[in-house]
Amino acid sequence: MDHSATTPIDSRVVDAMMPYLTQRFGNASSIHQFGQEARAAVDKARRQIASLISARANEIVFTSGGTEANNLAIRGVCEAAQAHGRHIITSAIEHPSVRGVLEYLEKNGWTITRLPVYDGGVVRIEDVRAAIRDDTVLISVMMANNEIGTIQPVKEIGALVRATRESGQKHLSFHTDAVQASGRIPIDVEHVRCDLLSLSAHKMYAPKGTGALFIRRGVRLFPQQIGGHQERERRAGTESVPNIVAFGKAAELAREEMDQRQEQTERLRDRFEEKVQSRIDDIVFNGDRRRRLSNVSNISFRFIEGEGLLIHLDMQGVAVSTGSACSSGTLEPSPVIKALGRDEELARGAIRFSFGKDNTDEDVDVAVEAVARAVESLRSISPLARESLST
Amino acid sequence: MPYSDIFKDHLANPRNAGELPDANAIAEETNPVCGDRLRLSLRIKDERIEAGRFLAYGCAPTLACGSALAEMLEGSTVEEARALTRQEVIDAIGGLSSRKQHAAALAIEALRKALDEVADR
Ligand SMILES: Cc1ncc(COP(=O)(O)O)c(C=O)c1O
Repeated sequence: MDHSATTPIDSRVVDAMMPYLTQRFGNASSIHQFGQEARAAVDKARRQIASLISARANEIVFTSGGTEANNLAIRGVCEAAQAHGRHIITSAIEHPSVRGVLEYLEKNGWTITRLPVYDGGVVRIEDVRAAIRDDTVLISVMMANNEIGTIQPVKEIGALVRATRESGQKHLSFHTDAVQASGRIPIDVEHVRCDLLSLSAHKMYAPKGTGALFIRRGVRLFPQQIGGHQERERRAGTESVPNIVAFGKAAELAREEMDQRQEQTERLRDRFEEKVQSRIDDIVFNGDRRRRLSNVSNISFRFIEGEGLLIHLDMQGVAVSTGSACSSGTLEPSPVIKALGRDEELARGAIRFSFGKDNTDEDVDVAVEAVARAVESLRSISPLARESLST
Repeated sequence: MPYSDIFKDHLANPRNAGELPDANAIAEETNPVCGDRLRLSLRIKDERIEAGRFLAYGCAPTLACGSALAEMLEGSTVEEARALTRQEVIDAIGGLSSRKQHAAALAIEALRKALDEVADR
């Protein structure tokens, strides 16, 4: 129930990558036959990934994952465009790999506008339009959020960026982090009109440590890994051939099975939410329930805190996530849930359940029982629950 | 540092949870930074803690420390309870990483406050 964190590797993906872990170990930069075999495999994967998002193969750059793709996109574009302005627009609910890079740039003199998402967890296009300044060089808004699954108006932002560019602001680019969206909803870069788009293999039933960045032809970007000619000078370093082959295969399967996976996870997710709602009182669903990925359910349980619930569930064999982190006595409730305007208690009691293609009805039913038991137990020791009874 | 089995057991099966209707020492402490809460209710007779219950809200270490403390207190003398240290609570749940030890501090503060309440009378 934690498929937004990572996914198991599909056995068909394992089969595809296996030869490249054993006999076909060539370096894709070598001229000889072994190298050429590896090169051909990498290029095939590039085409498979390009076709998942309707891009051209030469617009795909392989990276070590979603985090690196986000770093390369944002830092690469900002370094290349800084003579034209140092202002960036983003949302309040980005993944730490975007949020962190932007905080770093902010410390180095950049100005960041973080758009609110309101109670539905969705950015408003009017806010994006109003935030654009003459010195804005980048808009980075994720396609789908990793905690609540809400889908952002990326197509509208893409059109807005295009129009702004056509009216003279040539150096404005649009990046979207599609790590959670990919393989779960159809993506077409011509439709979205983004300039950069990040992907990660391990959210798509392929191994960890591999991702890709779509860089639209003509977009100027400074490489962040320097010292090699790989990936057409945009990302130095010997390609991880087996992982890339796996990623390609996973992309192909995702494209073929998209509808089926979407229907399956949506049915499971809805079954789960219905049952939880009928079994447990005092809960709040987080994120617009229509405008979100089909596999995610984020629920705040009143009177209790997420960490205890997570451990309870883990002990019952159910894996979930919280967005909050406590250290040194400072609790940081999930910034995403807080951005929805939820109070501290709801932000602390939020849990993400995320379903995958191999989950079953039975998994859902077991999880519901486990959640009901855990919530009841934690509420029985919660002073907040007692106070609510006596008022 | 991963949580110990005994820690998890305190979470899954909290000891002495609840409130005592006939408690004569009740105290609640709140961590002002993170908002974690721990409430202790004790029934003390002839310098001995006959019964102890806890309620807790907050991160998992706060819940586990509350449960461990309530369990340790029952049957102990007031003097023994006064001498309890943060480290003893930490040991009782199989250890805590230094970043989470504030949970044990909260437990000891709640205990001292409850005992002071009795002494004041
Ligand atoms: C939205 C989003 N972006 C980026 C990442 C980072 O990807 P990776 O784990 O491949 O570095 C994640 C992974 O959790 C994510 O959910």
